[in-house]
Amino acid sequence: MPTLTIDNRPVTVPDGTKVITAAEQLGIMIPRFCYHPALGSVGACRVCAVGFKEGPIKGVEMSCMVDAQEGMVVATDDPDAVDLRKHVIELLMLHHPHDCPVCDEGGHCLLQDMTISGGHGRRRYAGAKRTHLDQDLGPLVQHEMNRCIQCYRCSRFYQQFCGYRDLGVTGIGTRVYFGRSEPGTLESPFSGNLTDICPTGVYTDKPSRFYGRRWDYERAPSVCIHCSLGCSLTVSARYRKAVRHEARFNAQVNGHFICDRGRYAYAYASQPERPRDALIAGRPATLAQAATQMSERLAAIEKGTGPDGIALMGSARSSLETQALLARLHSEKGWRTPCFSADDAATRVVSSALNTLNATNTIALTEIEGADTVLLVGADPIGEAPMLALALRQAQRDGSRIITVDPRPVTLPCAHDHIAVSGDDLATAVAHLIIGALEPSREIALDADQQDRFKTLKQETRDIPAAAELRAIGHALTTAWRPAFVCGTTVPDPDVPPLMGLLQALVQTSCMWSGLFFPLPGANTFGAHCLGGSDALFEPLLAAVEAGQVKALVVVENDLFSEYPDQQRLAAALESLELLVVMDCVPSAITARADIFLPTQTIYEAGGHYLNNEGRLQVATPVIAGGLSIMDTGGGNHPPREFREDIPGGTPRPAWQYVAGLATGETDPPDVKPLLDEALTAGVADGERVSLPSASREWPSIERIGAGPEGDAGGLTLIESAATFGSEPLAAFSTVLAELTPLFGVTVHSETAQRLGWRAGDRIVIPDSAPALEVVVTLDDRAAPGVLLVPRRIGIDRTALRRYMAHLLAE
Amino acid sequence: MLRPRGAFFERTIEPLELHVSEALIEKLKNEIAAVEHPRELAVDVMMALQDHHGYLSDAARDQAAELLGMSALEVDELATFYTFIFREPVGRYVIHVCDSLICWMAGEENIVDHLRQQLQIDFGQTTADGLFTLLPVCCIGYCDRAPAILVNRRVHGPLTNSRLDELLQKYRAEAAEKPGSNV
Ligand code: SF4
Ligand code: SF4
Ligand code: FES
Ligand code: FES
Repeated sequence: MPTLTIDNRPVTVPDGTKVITAAEQLGIMIPRFCYHPALGSVGACRVCAVGFKEGPIKGVEMSCMVDAQEGMVVATDDPDAVDLRKHVIELLMLHHPHDCPVCDEGGHCLLQDMTISGGHGRRRYAGAKRTHLDQDLGPLVQHEMNRCIQCYRCSRFYQQFCGYRDLGVTGIGTRVYFGRSEPGTLESPFSGNLTDICPTGVYTDKPSRFYGRRWDYERAPSVCIHCSLGCSLTVSARYRKAVRHEARFNAQVNGHFICDRGRYAYAYASQPERPRDALIAGRPATLAQAATQMSERLAAIEKGTGPDGIALMGSARSSLETQALLARLHSEKGWRTPCFSADDAATRVVSSALNTLNATNTIALTEIEGADTVLLVGADPIGEAPMLALALRQAQRDGSRIITVDPRPVTLPCAHDHIAVSGDDLATAVAHLIIGALEPSREIALDADQQDRFKTLKQETRDIPAAAELRAIGHALTTAWRPAFVCGTTVPDPDVPPLMGLLQALVQTSCMWSGLFFPLPGANTFGAHCLGGSDALFEPLLAAVEAGQVKALVVVENDLFSEYPDQQRLAAALESLELLVVMDCVPSAITARADIFLPTQTIYEAGGHYLNNEGRLQVATPVIAGGLSIMDTGGGNHPPREFREDIPGGTPRPAWQYVAGLATGETDPPDVKPLLDEALTAGVADGERVSLPSASREWPSIERIGAGPEGDAGGLTLIESAATFGSEPLAAFSTVLAELTPLFGVTVHSETAQRLGWRAGDRIVIPDSAPALEVVVTLDDRAAPGVLLVPRRIGIDRTALRRYMAHLLAE
Repeated sequence: MLRPRGAFFERTIEPLELHVSEALIEKLKNEIAAVEHPRELAVDVMMALQDHHGYLSDAARDQAAELLGMSALEVDELATFYTFIFREPVGRYVIHVCDSLICWMAGEENIVDHLRQQLQIDFGQTTADGLFTLLPVCCIGYCDRAPAILVNRRVHGPLTNSRLDELLQKYRAEAAEKPGSNV
């Protein structure tokens, strides 16, 4: 812990801290271009020069390359250093265009700031500048190569940090060029970060290009709700339109970056199709009319059926405020317990997963970067929780071993061992890992009772093809120092997360640190579990509707059709309701069916609290007041000169307000913290993790593992799972992301394809599908044989798809 | 003087794609298999394919990428770094003129002027007959023979204008005698 003096102020920093970072701790920002905390130092730009006055180093040196050492005296205003920096900037500006006014980076450009603050306000060089051709890098990132100052941040980020290989640096000398071999869409799902890290305007945000300057925007800290990780964002909005998400640093969750799904997901909030008016039987009505009618009709139904005749449906994309009020509505009115997902299979896994987590075994996303072994079972990070893939990459770069056990051919941007195990065998696979960890090991001591149970487990666990390999890995886990355990919550069955919990608890005794990380199906699935009682299943609800027991259904921010697989059955059931109330901010198959529709605000207008997958309580601040964008009402011109008291299109209210109207009639947002405190019997603060009541460490239920579906080897199973683009209900409205969404396809092992008579590239037209659905066949021998893998895709005819697949499975 | 990027990449002749022999591919595969990191052999593979095609065409780059398990971009990163790997078609004789200090003191500028005049091309260009490409190179280690040039990687120097004329004459005659064959 050396103590050094920077600009006459002492600071003590951990060993190995660079001087540039030490200065930051004093609030001193030494100029930098190539240095980035996530990418480290390379000493390429020479703009971070400072004067070393006393101590082990003397003279002008690069502060990003020198470790802070005891007794150093550093002056950032050393005249020689200041002069050097000034000349370095002038040198970097030699070839840089002089057209900040037409550059979209202007206003938040590091180079611009440095050039001015470095004292190089006037160009002296009047010669010709080297120029480059720009490339079309796809719909997300704009390229203007002439603005490059060769800091190498982009190529280091793209290749080393992220592990993608289609953007980098070519050429030499003045011809150094950052881009691709050929123009084309960037392959990395993290490419948008280039716009954040490039210190100049080479890469700028394409969808929001020329929409405004940094100072024009209304900006506010927010949370990404497009997967369960809940990365931190800064939202920029102008003219009532949210047009840009940038990564906001969060040391526990996302670090400095976010994924492209999260970055470009905002379009849903200002799409022309967004429902902004209340509707009664499909016809526009005022909010008051709709709300009154809703209360009256619900009351009437309740009178006839009793409170049981009314059911509540929430979602994992709603804020905690909305979820909490749904729960309160239930407790106050006695209406049916709210259900937060129509995907019961997932709900069951989520419950068992969250019952496994507790205050001591949960780890944060960035902690995974520090693991030396990461075991992933039934988790596909790139599709389900993209930033997890980036964390795994950092772990792997540091020497960590990554193991994926999955029926899907999981791909990661880093080296990993993949073990294909069919979906039904995942629990058995973890049992083999447990056996491997316990069997020849002297590291883990078991008491007599545990010995017994272990014996039974060993006898009963049935053999699977990868058993030996899994046992070897299980054994290797006991020699790891910092193992992390990741388990998905959509593909595995409910037995898997507790087994992973058991494995972690056993291995915990032989290592320094370990923990569990469970990506969840939705942004606020954790919240639904805490506040709403996520155990409420949809199937019984649907059956009650069909049986005529439930006469009214209130659906809040959930397009049931994208969650529930049998769309026909669902449609028929909804048809039989007396009253269907829908509240949402996006149009969907269900909004069109609503008897009463209430438009809700988006996260940009309402803000709200969210619990991410590890239970971290995070706040999104409202950015805009709501209403139609004057960019749209004015059609590019001055908005209509029409006097009115309200904002056009400003009708939507936060969903919780409508729900509150039904319960207590309160108009202030509920304070979620006391509610959480109550639910969890523990205090909680923003940015902190809530702790679930301590989980039980059950030994695996032997029947499940031993007597699992045996004749499996020949059977076929269909797995629908989240893909990076096209699966998340809100991001699916983004037109730029739609351009990146691949053709709908099915992935199978070549053996399976042979059995089905499929070849790679075959197109299967699904019979009787509306809209017509075509499926492209892809072969991948890393998939478990017998698995038909399709991505979740919003808006496709899943009924027809499932019908067709079921007919295949039956044959 | 700065040389605009375009001048280096002006495309003058259309490439003639030649089929790479199975034997060469086999040989390269074996060499790659024998090293710990295939990347080590990137330059050798690129050179071998370039010797075959006359330059590293896009197809050759892709083939190199496939052999080495690298992406096309990763091969390009290396290919465009090196002076002696050509990503654009070049003439039958590639003339590299050393423009470093000793050669410059010994009259490099005269050599360049003379070549420009005789060949009617500038740096980065290829003569209309497809025979000569003119490129600059930094010190090639023949300072004792300054001013020096390389023609197809073979050194010539010290040079005078008349010696240059003789050289050009020699290559023209050779080309007339054996049309089509490269190097
Ligand atoms: S493109 Fe931007 S990030 Fe990349 S080297 Fe140039 S200035 Fe740096
Ligand atoms: S990883 Fe998830 S939470 Fe993070 S930016 Fe991507 S979609 Fe949003
Ligand atoms: S920031 Fe230190 S050399 Fe670039
Ligand atoms: S300076 Fe020309 S060969 Fe060395």
